[in-house]
Amino acid sequence: MLWNIAFRTLFHDRGKLLAGLVGVIFSVVLVNIQGGLFFGLIRKASLLVDESNADIWVGHRGMHNVDFPHDIPERWIHRIRSIEGVQEAQPMRIAFSEISLPNGGHEGTMIVGLKPGTDLGRAYEIQQGPQEALDHVDGVVVDVCDDAKLMDPKIGSVREIGASRAVVSGKCYGVLSFLVTPYVFTTYDRSVEFSGGDPTMTSYFLVRTEPGVDAQIVCDEISRRLDDVSAMTSEEFADMSINYWLTRTGLGLSFGAATALGLLVGLVMVAQTLYAMVLDRISEFATLKALGSKEAEILLLLGAQSSLVAIVGIVIGIALSVLIRFLFSTPRAEIMFSQGLYAGSAVIVFVICLAASGLPYLRVRKVDPHSILQG
Amino acid sequence: MTNLNFVPDAPNGLGHTASSSYLPLSDNPLAARSTSPGITDKQERVLTATNVRKGYSIGGEKRWVLDGVDFHVDAGECVFLSGPSGSGKSTLLSIIGCLLESDEGEIHLAGQRADQLNVAERTKLRRNNIGFVFQRFQLIRGLSAKDNVAVPLSLQGHSLQEARLMATEILARVGLEMHRDQLPTQMSPGQCQRVALARAVVSSPRLLLADEPTAALDRQSGYEVMVLLRELLQATNSATVVVTHDPRISEFADRICEIENGRLR
Repeated sequence: MLWNIAFRTLFHDRGKLLAGLVGVIFSVVLVNIQGGLFFGLIRKASLLVDESNADIWVGHRGMHNVDFPHDIPERWIHRIRSIEGVQEAQPMRIAFSEISLPNGGHEGTMIVGLKPGTDLGRAYEIQQGPQEALDHVDGVVVDVCDDAKLMDPKIGSVREIGASRAVVSGKCYGVLSFLVTPYVFTTYDRSVEFSGGDPTMTSYFLVRTEPGVDAQIVCDEISRRLDDVSAMTSEEFADMSINYWLTRTGLGLSFGAATALGLLVGLVMVAQTLYAMVLDRISEFATLKALGSKEAEILLLLGAQSSLVAIVGIVIGIALSVLIRFLFSTPRAEIMFSQGLYAGSAVIVFVICLAASGLPYLRVRKVDPHSILQG
Repeated sequence: MTNLNFVPDAPNGLGHTASSSYLPLSDNPLAARSTSPGITDKQERVLTATNVRKGYSIGGEKRWVLDGVDFHVDAGECVFLSGPSGSGKSTLLSIIGCLLESDEGEIHLAGQRADQLNVAERTKLRRNNIGFVFQRFQLIRGLSAKDNVAVPLSLQGHSLQEARLMATEILARVGLEMHRDQLPTQMSPGQCQRVALARAVVSSPRLLLADEPTAALDRQSGYEVMVLLRELLQATNSATVVVTHDPRISEFADRICEIENGRLR
């Protein structure tokens, strides 16, 4: 019956219900969009690692971010290949350089050099041009989403990178750097030309383990054999790259603060709405008390109303978030949802709505059933 | 299903059709009965209030709203409390209705010492033994007539389905069968007060308390409500206390207690 009273009185006052729902929907959309943007952005910090097809990343001791490597001798790869459980190991070179623009200017780029004949490190899928675009002499692969920065390079466009000739032989989609510098994929040897530096040095070794082999054991063995490297699973290195930006830029704090603000606004709106509804029906609560409703039942009633507002608002809010993502998400400003984000936002908003019912309850608690006999 | 012991063939029982309740005053059998001096059979005492005092401090000075009131009401008896504004009628009603604590005195209700109970125990006592009729009906706006009447039953632990069945039955008895799914805003004041009456008696309370039940109604509606009240009380055998200013309905009382300056005359 309490549910019946809660439901019917709530839906009886549709104007206030709508105001409450707007608050919840606002909170859910804000949490999801903020969260989605955050995850979409932070994913770029580990994109090269996530899409590398490698089980293990090996870099200089103390490596902390995939975009900021420190050189290590390439010859060490032989010691890694000799370790039991290693199916394949390839060097990967990441270095900053500059690409010429048609207007005579230059744009900073991050050159990613990959060994041919392997998919280790190949984080991209060709969208324009031949699949084996890097087989082209002087070929490079750039991202469609960086067209504006690179002044709309076409397949076959000739540019200069680090004083060497480069031909845009393929274009991929959505492989963007966390930094402002576009990724330029090329072969390992060409990357040495494009970025200069010591050809005997490399940035990382990417390792694929044999099926069924524990990658952590292989990491431990690599670390044991090579004192000056760090070896970690791709998941660990991805987390480390993400944490680097989170902890050193305050990114998590700013996104978190915006999200918390949204939750706070939602909380205030829901609490205010429930409070206004209670004030409007204060004599009804007094009546319920006079008829013998216990305090716990009144609290349950208010909690039920909050829950109803929360559930309806969460469902609409998530649907709206999906629509917004569909309409506005791009690789540059990606809104990345996950089951965890949906569940997290739903739980947080639901708990907040329940907490919001505390404010009207404090008012109802003071209601004296005797008051309805006082006219 | 319901606890009400309806007697369809009884002359004053709830077996009357709705139209029989609208008889002119002189033709209605209840009118003749209501002029009787009171119940004569030995009845169970439902409520006893002894030496009840209640006061408020105003400017550091204690002012007694009730000052040593002795009061009782028996099962089936309808007692009117009348008196001028501020005489303490509503305060006494609140105290015997376990809505308000007295400062002094004893309240015995349905075999329990009510004045010594804590808030939760008083709530339970009220829920299980007392029905209320309020001046402004106090129906819950979002609920249909049927669901409003079902509220006390639900609070007593009946399932919603069971409570609705019983509510529908008693709404039919008060002539509102066709209005059972209407909201209070869709009904006239007289109909609302009949719904409130149905809500008050649906659980067959030992004690029924009515606060100015006709004050918000016109003469005809007020009269009909009082006829209905007496009919329902006959079925439930509830002890009833009616606070009223309305001299037009005094004929429905078995006994009238005048209260003035916090004392019964």
